[in-house]
Amino acid sequence: MHSMVSLLAQTAPEGRVFGLDLQTFFSGSLQLLNGIILAVALSWLLYKPVKEFLRKRADRIQDEIDQAEATMTKGNELIAEYDKKIQAIDQERIEILEAARLTAEDEAKVILAEAQKEAQEIKKRSLENVSKEQVRFQEESRLYIIELASIMAEKYLTQNIDDESQNKLFEETLAKLEETQWLN
Amino acid sequence: MGLEIDNLWSIEIAGQEFWITETIVNTWFIMLLLIVVAIITRIKLRKFKRVPTGFQNAIEAVVEIFDNFVKNTLGEKLSYVAPWFFMVFMFLLWSALLSVFGLRAPTADWATTFAFAFVSLILMFYMGVKHQKGNYLKTFFEPHFIFFPMNLIGELAKPVSLSFRLFGNMLSGTIILTLYYALTPVFIQFGIPSLLHAFFDVIIGALQTYIFVILSLMYVKTAAD
Repeated sequence: MHSMVSLLAQTAPEGRVFGLDLQTFFSGSLQLLNGIILAVALSWLLYKPVKEFLRKRADRIQDEIDQAEATMTKGNELIAEYDKKIQAIDQERIEILEAARLTAEDEAKVILAEAQKEAQEIKKRSLENVSKEQVRFQEESRLYIIELASIMAEKYLTQNIDDESQNKLFEETLAKLEETQWLN
Repeated sequence: MGLEIDNLWSIEIAGQEFWITETIVNTWFIMLLLIVVAIITRIKLRKFKRVPTGFQNAIEAVVEIFDNFVKNTLGEKLSYVAPWFFMVFMFLLWSALLSVFGLRAPTADWATTFAFAFVSLILMFYMGVKHQKGNYLKTFFEPHFIFFPMNLIGELAKPVSLSFRLFGNMLSGTIILTLYYALTPVFIQFGIPSLLHAFFDVIIGALQTYIFVILSLMYVKTAAD
């Protein structure tokens, strides 16, 4: 470029540094035109499209931030709602447990009362049985004693027994009687 | 690279001969470069990702930083003029940066700097009339109508000072570097000039680009408010 400029300059009149004439006006006008062309080109090809791209990207990022914030708010609301539900469930659980405890207490009281009543019945029945058994034993004892007395009387009458034999006989009879009672 | 702006070829308009200068050809070269980058960006834009990397990162950073800069200076309401100033910023910056490679900066020609400053003047008047309406014109007659010529000159001086500031700074760098190359022996023309280029082309160039754009924006904002 520089060598080309030098070559062309050799054939042209001497240049200059500064001048206020028609050539300056011409150069200035041409530079103005160049500037306008360059401004239009840069604006159309670079400045505005890049700005538009940046604006769209900023809008998109802002949208995403807004969306994320909205989601976060919604999430927080949901968490608060579920916290409330959990608290309600906890309360309900406590109430159910309390109700169950009260029901169980009532039922326990009823069962206890029934058991006590039944125990009383059983005790009563047992006592009655015992009384009946006592009466029966007394009766059986009386019958055995009568039987024993009869046997003794019979043996006394049939045998001439001495005191020693009599005692022995009594012991045997008593042992038989005891054995009979055990068996019963 | 010389002190003078070379004339390359001539064209005739209404019987008057005009020269296509080195400045104009260099401007076309920079325009071509920027337009190619813009076309590549436009093509690649379809494949831009949500998480930027590499080329996408650089393009996004440039556009976003400049857009924020204009919005912070002019406000949201006036930021529709940003594409013009984006072009001015990119063109002036690349003019300065490419002079590192021996390309004479188009901004070292007053015709270029005045053309851009002239647009700032037009925008200034347009914004003033559009947003302040009659009040803007009234400011030319304050505090008394006899101050009108001074106020008018004051307004017209703004683009002139703007254009000469940039032109002077860029030309001074060009002159110093040309003198250095012309007056020093060949063996010290390697290495050392890179520091001069870094200072005059990169640092001063970027600084003057920023100053030109911020002052233009401030003039527009002052006129509109």
